[in-house]
Amino acid sequence: MTRLGRLALRILLPAVGLTLASTASAIPAFARKYATSCLTCHTVYPKLTPFGEAFRANGYRFPGVDSDLVKAEQVVLAQEANKKTFPNSVWPASIPAAVPLAIGANGTARLFPSSRSSAGVAASGARFTTQDLVGEAHLWAGAALDDSTTLWGELTFADGGAEVEHAQILFNDLLGPKHALNVIVGHGFPNVTQYGPHSSYLADVLLPTVPVTDLYGLTSGAAWSLTGNYTGVEANGVLADGRLDWALGVNAGPTDRISSSDNVYGRIGLKVGGMRLDGEGSTGAADALHPWAEDAIGVYAFAYRSDARFTVGTDLHSDVAPAYGVGARLQSGSAELNAAYYTERHGAATDAFGKVNADVWFAELSYVLFPWMVPALRVEGVTLKPSGGDSVSDLHLMPGLAFAIRPNVKLVAVANFELSHGFPSVGGAPVAWQGGAADWGPLQIAPSSTDPARKNLSEVETIAFFLAWAM
Amino acid sequence: MTARHAPRLAAASLALALAAAALADGGTVTGTVEATPPKYLEETVVYLKNGPPAAKPRTLSMDQKSMTFVPHVLVVAVGDTVKFLNHDNVVHNVYSPDGDGYNLGSFKQDEVRTATFAKPGAYTQLCSIHPEMLGFIYAAPGPFAAAVDKKGHFSITGVPPGTYTLAVWNSHLKGPEKSVTVGAGQTVTEKIAVKR
Repeated sequence: MTRLGRLALRILLPAVGLTLASTASAIPAFARKYATSCLTCHTVYPKLTPFGEAFRANGYRFPGVDSDLVKAEQVVLAQEANKKTFPNSVWPASIPAAVPLAIGANGTARLFPSSRSSAGVAASGARFTTQDLVGEAHLWAGAALDDSTTLWGELTFADGGAEVEHAQILFNDLLGPKHALNVIVGHGFPNVTQYGPHSSYLADVLLPTVPVTDLYGLTSGAAWSLTGNYTGVEANGVLADGRLDWALGVNAGPTDRISSSDNVYGRIGLKVGGMRLDGEGSTGAADALHPWAEDAIGVYAFAYRSDARFTVGTDLHSDVAPAYGVGARLQSGSAELNAAYYTERHGAATDAFGKVNADVWFAELSYVLFPWMVPALRVEGVTLKPSGGDSVSDLHLMPGLAFAIRPNVKLVAVANFELSHGFPSVGGAPVAWQGGAADWGPLQIAPSSTDPARKNLSEVETIAFFLAWAM
Repeated sequence: MTARHAPRLAAASLALALAAAALADGGTVTGTVEATPPKYLEETVVYLKNGPPAAKPRTLSMDQKSMTFVPHVLVVAVGDTVKFLNHDNVVHNVYSPDGDGYNLGSFKQDEVRTATFAKPGAYTQLCSIHPEMLGFIYAAPGPFAAAVDKKGHFSITGVPPGTYTLAVWNSHLKGPEKSVTVGAGQTVTEKIAVKR
């Protein structure tokens, strides 16, 4: 595959279907650990219930004393009573008797209502394809060493290769009140949102991202993105009787660059009503028949500073990109509105090291009609403003239905309507990759026209059927 | 039998008869413990907090077999001695960080170590060579104590008539104390819930 082809694929894949999504929150290893259903933490996985969000925020631990709820057989490596004689004995720990792994696969079949749409063009005129129905396979690991230390891993196989998406050790309850200070070390997503990064019914990630430096030709498939999985350290916690949460982290950015990034980020959030953010105190759903339902408002704000470094020839360049965002989730019973906005201010993002501002937002409205069926509507928007270039924007409207065929098997049917205004360009000319079957928006498929001057485009891109299972 | 032995035998018989009579006149406190979560149920001991002390110290045993303490929970009375056995073909150690603490050193198969329990309470039994091993010795104030079985049942027999405080110990959970009145030959049944 040519460099252009790889870049095109890299940009196209996230787009194609918003639904060709991996899942990093739902792992049956936890179901086995507690001998509990997926529905304890999820509706249609990986969408988390309030309890599931608390489980995630607690470092993959139940409220209370986690080991009280563990039903899987454990092999004790050192007894709890060893704490009494520490440091003359080793600190307590245990591991599951069975290796705490889970497997799964997912992919998308797509219908192209118009062969002239950019998606139809990218599919070479095909009307329907099952080519990507098994797009990814996953191997997950999730376990606890004791009541405060947990492990989390995810290996994803796709496109003939494998990628470690997560490899983290989580040290919880380090200081102060319970849940006040946790530290995550390793490779994974940054907690810039109050909710799980995959906690969406229709999209892979809650927050859409834009590979700005890829789009403007500075990098090739190595753009930093706001929710990218990177290696670093994050401290986080829940305070104020479970109503306030925070995160502060550093990471190295994409590792396939010549020079790595030095990134820092922070978030603070507040939740009013419903279950506590840490799930403590039995503040669960009032209606046992609707355990996902609550009346609550969660708000959060985050800041992220990426300093991505590039070696061009013998020169070292740096794209410093501060990002600021806010988000909110309003839930009333089984209805939920999830929305966020952020802006990225890239200092040198084009191949001529020009500035680019990116404004990104999304909103997702959903209603749990039945425990196994959730209609939802998602809207995503991106505006790019390059210094000295044309401002362009892209909007996607995605109505869909998410089904839990079984608690561990899901099907999502989602349509993708697109409205775009303009096309990214450098100095009025298309960027080199734009001649390929590629696209610039987070969800937009290859354009039917790559002419930057063509201002408005509206298309029915795809009707996608996303299928996933995990066990 | 010689005439010389007759008085001694008579005395022994009389003592046995008296003991049997006392036992016969004693009551029983029985019942069930319910634990939440149930995974810790088997680490429960029920005892009379203010029962009469033991007539004389006893010697009981806790074994190490297949790298586990057997029984997992051993109930003794204050003043009793426990013999720690090793029936594994590996070296074991026994130590406890509780009470005044003790470390019986390492001992080979068929060797024996002993410890006497002068203070009431729970003594965690650990092996420094095999940190996964865990057992408990509960030293009750007197002999009127029992560990629960797998279903949570317990039975304390031979209790002299009187009113006592029935207490419960669990490795992770807590339960209430209860007042029980035991009559001669009577059985008192109690339910006890233990939780966090």
